[in-house]
Amino acid sequence: MDKLIVPDTGLMFWTIVTFLCLVAILKKAAWGPLLKAVDDREYRLKSDREAAEKARADAERIQKELEAQLAGVHAKSKELLAAAVKDGEALRARLKAEAESDAQAIKDKTSADLVAEKNRLVGDLRREVASLSVMAAEKLMRQSVDEGVQKRVLDGFFADLDTAKKAGRN
Amino acid sequence: MNFESVLSHHLIDRKLFTFMVGPLDLGLSPLIITMWVAAVIATAVLSFAARSQSAPARLTRGMIEPVALFVRDDILEPIFGHHAHYYLPYFLTLFFFLLTCNLLGLVPYAKGVTANIAVTASMALCTFFLIQFAGIKEQGLGSYLIHIVPGGVPWWLWPLLFVIEFFGMFAKCISLCIRLFANMLAGHIVSLSFLFLIFIFAQMSKVLGFGVSPAAIGLALFIYVMDVLVSFLQAYIFTFLTALFVGGAVHPH
Repeated sequence: MDKLIVPDTGLMFWTIVTFLCLVAILKKAAWGPLLKAVDDREYRLKSDREAAEKARADAERIQKELEAQLAGVHAKSKELLAAAVKDGEALRARLKAEAESDAQAIKDKTSADLVAEKNRLVGDLRREVASLSVMAAEKLMRQSVDEGVQKRVLDGFFADLDTAKKAGRN
Repeated sequence: MNFESVLSHHLIDRKLFTFMVGPLDLGLSPLIITMWVAAVIATAVLSFAARSQSAPARLTRGMIEPVALFVRDDILEPIFGHHAHYYLPYFLTLFFFLLTCNLLGLVPYAKGVTANIAVTASMALCTFFLIQFAGIKEQGLGSYLIHIVPGGVPWWLWPLLFVIEFFGMFAKCISLCIRLFANMLAGHIVSLSFLFLIFIFAQMSKVLGFGVSPAAIGLALFIYVMDVLVSFLQAYIFTFLTALFVGGAVHPH
């Protein structure tokens, strides 16, 4: 049984030779193709995953952009609507103010015209009355009153007329 | 019937003829032939699995690839980092050669190749030279010799530690050799012992021999099945420890 634990050198030689040959043969015959296939597959998986991730990132970016654009459009439309409302309000206010001022102007002008017309009529009437009065007085004077009285009466009459005119104007 | 003669008949390799070359006897023996058969089987199966595109090849590749990826990603990558690719073929071959030899040892009429101390010693010797080769290749000769002793050691301890580490290197390889040898041999011896119980009892009485045989065969079968597990385990341990030792020489820190 001693032989069980005494290594045989010839067997050791054959073992080492066999093993080293096997390393060389398997490296060429098996591990090269196998590891190449594994590497290729890992590379393919990695590139596929990277492409998928890139596509997803792109999609997310585009979605974000669209959302941002949509939000911009919303804000813009809101702004435009507000501006339009404001413009309308302003226009209405302006038109109203213009109309009011026009109406006021017409009213003012009309009343001014009325006053002027009244004044003119009053003047006309006054002159008419004066001339009629003078004619009547003349007729009266010629028959009964000397020149001195005539003059005093006329002066008094005109003074009264002036006062009345002043009072009428006021 | 003598148990010792049975054991030696089964476990000791005998040359078929002698062929002396210098001090070496290169004559062939059943064990050497079994080893070559194992090498041929490994080559055939692995290259078939790696190269063929047929369905059986794909199935075989599906079994071999996870093991190869395990050796690469879980054993070599943590130890060697980006050098893993360089050493990968050696370690894969080591694992599958040991596995094939271990499993072939369980086949009737085949010899237990790895249950022979010469074979395991040779494998350990290969590991030893790989440690030296990888250490010198990755670090350079001077740096490798200096880093045999771990850094941060007081100068007066240095010579002592150098001697300890130097012999430690041999001890590691001798432990590799004995671990594989003893584990594989033990399975064979225990199986044979259980089976031999039948003959021991049969020498007392034939009835006793028959009575004992179911239990003996059951136990032997149990050990045999466990040997399948041990075959994988020991191939893995040998590969892993080799990677660990080589890694220690490549990265001293």
